[in-house]
Amino acid sequence: MTPASTDKSADLLQGTLDLLILKAVSLGPLHGYGVLLRIQQISGEELVIQQGSLYPALYRLEHQGAIASEWGESENNRRAKYYRLTDLGRERLDSETARWNRMSGIINGILRATPEEA
Amino acid sequence: MTPISHVRSLVACLRSTLVSIASRRRIEREMEAELALHIQIRTADLIRTGLPPQDAARQARIELGNPLTHKEGMRSALGLRWLDELSADLRYAIRYLRKSPVFTAVAVTSLALAIGANTTIFSVAKQVLYERLAVPHAADLRLLAWTGSQDHVAVHHIWGDYYSQLPGGRVASSSFAYPAYQQLRAQNQSLQDLMAFKSTAANVTVGKVPERMGIEMVSGNYYNVLAVEPQMGRLIGPSDDVTTEEGTVAVISDGLWQRAFDRSPQVIGQVIHVGYVPLTVIGVNPRGFTGAKNVQQSPDVFVPLSLQPLLRPFNDPNSANEAGNSASGLENPTRWWVNIMGRTRPGIGDAAAQSALDTQLSAIVRATMPVRKGEDLPRLELRDGSRGLFVQKEIFAKPMAMLLTFAGLVLLLACANVANLMLARGSQRQREMSVRLALGAGRTRILRQMLVESLLLAFLGGLCGLLTAYLGRNIIPKLTQNAWERTDFHVNFDWKVFAFTAAVTLFTGILFGLVPAVAAARAEVTHGLKEVSLSVTRRRSVLGNKSLVGFQIALSTLLILGAGLFLRTLLQLHAIDPGFRTDHLLLAEINPPERRYPAGADVALHRRFEQSFAAIPGVESVTLAADPYVADDTSTTDFLPQGMKYNPQGHFEEAINIVGNAFFQTMQIPIVAGRAFGEQDTAASPKVGIINRALANKRFPGQNPVGKFFRTEDHDADGHGSTTGEDWIQIVGVCGDTRYATLRDDPPPQFFLPYVQQKQVGGMTYEIRTRLAPEQIVPALRRILQQADPDLPIVDLRTQQQQIDAALQQERLFVTLTSGFGLLALALACVGIYGVMAYSVAQRTNEIGIRLALGAQPDNVRRMILRESTVLTGIGIVVGVAGALALARLVKSMLYGVPPYDPVTLTGGIGLLFAVALASSWIPARRAASIEPMRALRHE
Repeated sequence: MTPASTDKSADLLQGTLDLLILKAVSLGPLHGYGVLLRIQQISGEELVIQQGSLYPALYRLEHQGAIASEWGESENNRRAKYYRLTDLGRERLDSETARWNRMSGIINGILRATPEEA
Repeated sequence: MTPISHVRSLVACLRSTLVSIASRRRIEREMEAELALHIQIRTADLIRTGLPPQDAARQARIELGNPLTHKEGMRSALGLRWLDELSADLRYAIRYLRKSPVFTAVAVTSLALAIGANTTIFSVAKQVLYERLAVPHAADLRLLAWTGSQDHVAVHHIWGDYYSQLPGGRVASSSFAYPAYQQLRAQNQSLQDLMAFKSTAANVTVGKVPERMGIEMVSGNYYNVLAVEPQMGRLIGPSDDVTTEEGTVAVISDGLWQRAFDRSPQVIGQVIHVGYVPLTVIGVNPRGFTGAKNVQQSPDVFVPLSLQPLLRPFNDPNSANEAGNSASGLENPTRWWVNIMGRTRPGIGDAAAQSALDTQLSAIVRATMPVRKGEDLPRLELRDGSRGLFVQKEIFAKPMAMLLTFAGLVLLLACANVANLMLARGSQRQREMSVRLALGAGRTRILRQMLVESLLLAFLGGLCGLLTAYLGRNIIPKLTQNAWERTDFHVNFDWKVFAFTAAVTLFTGILFGLVPAVAAARAEVTHGLKEVSLSVTRRRSVLGNKSLVGFQIALSTLLILGAGLFLRTLLQLHAIDPGFRTDHLLLAEINPPERRYPAGADVALHRRFEQSFAAIPGVESVTLAADPYVADDTSTTDFLPQGMKYNPQGHFEEAINIVGNAFFQTMQIPIVAGRAFGEQDTAASPKVGIINRALANKRFPGQNPVGKFFRTEDHDADGHGSTTGEDWIQIVGVCGDTRYATLRDDPPPQFFLPYVQQKQVGGMTYEIRTRLAPEQIVPALRRILQQADPDLPIVDLRTQQQQIDAALQQERLFVTLTSGFGLLALALACVGIYGVMAYSVAQRTNEIGIRLALGAQPDNVRRMILRESTVLTGIGIVVGVAGALALARLVKSMLYGVPPYDPVTLTGGIGLLFAVALASSWIPARRAASIEPMRALRHE
């Protein structure tokens, strides 16, 4: 399983990277590269994340107290920094998920509109 | 997210930034490690997909992108980036200031002097006006005081503070009768326990040498109410404040412990003598404790209030007929002398407490003392007691405000000066700014860069200013003490002073930095890069500098004129003829305590000293007086010429002095009619008196007063000093007028009585005319006292000239400080004028070159430059004079013999400023005149 960089992969919507990171670490502590892998895995390899933009985003979230980090052993016995969701982060994940759902519902509604309705 | 979560997030951000700053190196290491790990795992993954290891590593790096960019992003996410930029700005600013040492030195010096002056004045003002007593929760303390009508209040005998001529024709005091205190304390339910104290002075003998010291008599609950703990031994408690027998106890100050006992623990149990009363030392006050009266200086010995009848008995035969009169202040309800303090009681406001205590006081006064018809009762007033009696407010509030204003103006001037220098440099740096803007620097970044530079300058100035102030605070007390009295007055440097300095520094940094910073940030990219930019005569850009210089000149004018007014005041005061000869006159005080020298014995003792002193070789003549002159001492007594009837509503009081027979000869006060006192005037001979010319003119207009009779009614309040009788006194002479308490006040009507004809005189000041130096004669004086009474000190030895100098101390302090400020202002204005003119000439090199090439004479050019600076100076001076005239009216009460619009000061000050302006623009003018046209035109 590798992050593919194919043409068909969707571009990340502005501002959704934070939400995706929160979701990824909510499933269990991960190091930076692990976050990348998990997002791609969940999205069925559809989503490609700019590897470089991941780390500033992680630092920003930790800075804001949404995630916390700890140094631990990685799968192949290397020291890695593991990120996990904090209470504050869970709250934020929930509220942002709700907002996302509302937003996408509205947009879906608009896109489904037929000529008669307009 | 809820609002609370937002707050939590904000807190997390703050903490994260602080942690990141604190453990910066760890963060950097971790970022490195995290990115390295990413590449490692990615490489491994890529190898697993079949890439050769070397390609895999390369591929992994390409995918990740530039690690430097990412790390910058990570730092920025942690809030570290502004810090990095700031430290870069700081490094740049340091480099820049180091590159221009002259500019930095001038700017830092002027800021240091200005900030130092402000900090010094502030720390003194804080010490004098805002410092609280060194006791826990001083803010809770309340001082009891009272007010009454000017002439009709029932209280007649006050020993202590007394303020008359208050608004509404009222008088005020914080002195109470001891019985009134006891009853108030018993009835009081509106404050916590009330304590009483009285600060005074006494002859104290520690070891062999007697000395005059400050003492505080305190009630048994005094230390309890103040919540003070001893630094050694124990303090006076209720059980100590019960006896008037000898052999009781005393607590000493930290200062006396240091001075007399070298901080030895053996001090406990030692016996010291206070006014002949042996007292056992039981404890030492904590360091910094100054008693309850003031915050400046601690009395040396604290004794129980119950010792008052032994230490300072009231003896006043004249009021002996009054009901309840007693020598013991503890029983006497008509003598008002103790100060009362208490702490607020939780839940009871000051207004409620005051009205409750007032009701109680009225009842107590009615019950305990005679209230004559037409007299009104004292109305109780609750005051803030956190600063003791706070008498210094009346004396220092205005001078301190004046000095702070002066210092503030100097600071403003220094700011203008530095801003001016920075503006001039800013135009030199326009190219640099344009290049930076062209290379993509943001305008906010440049603004910040400039502000960092000015704040760095301000910081350096503030640091040096603090050092200057530290020196200043050590010098100021020396300027305020007189030649013969020991003072412990010192100015504390605490966090408030540091906070003040920091605030002033920040304020100045922003004040002088903002204009140049905005100017720099507004720079036009293309404008600054044009090679020909200098060829235009840009008068507009000089305008900012010029108005700043004009402002500086106006401020200097203000300061110079202020200094001039105080200087003229001092000169006028020095020029006053006090009416007696002040040179070669030695003053010394001897206070024989009543306990050993009751009425009659004191007169005999003084007579003996007078004769012995006169016999010392080198002494021309000796006299003594109850009140030395120009020493802020006054005594007044009713003067009733024969045929005039006393009534309590009238004003008969005149200044009186009880003097020796050789007084007029020793002081060289002329006798204009009749005779002086002489050997023929003794206790047995008919009572005689001498009046001065002013009294003769006032009471005997158009008559010859010599031979007439008068009577005195003694209303002397403190039981100290003269005691005159009811006998008729004949006027035997008229003398010339002399100043009395102060130099400033005109000579008052005054009369003189010989002390040998008084029943009791108490302490007297000896006035010895001699050509010998004081140190040559003082040992002889001491020997005579030692033989007569080893416990009797001779105190306050000083010359009359020193006494006058001490009386002019405040004026001299003003002159010293304001002249210092004025000189500083002149120097700053000098730098300002020179700077702006030199800059203007440099900018106009081309124009001047053309003028010269077209035939202008160098003289014309020089005159043109000088005219320019003179116009600038003139405008500044006009503004400054207007401001000075407006402000001078506020200091009118501090001036003497000079109107606020004093023409001498005005012409002198204006002349000085013009001279300085001319001098400082001379070099630029000469440089302009010597420009060679060809060089100037090739200059670009």
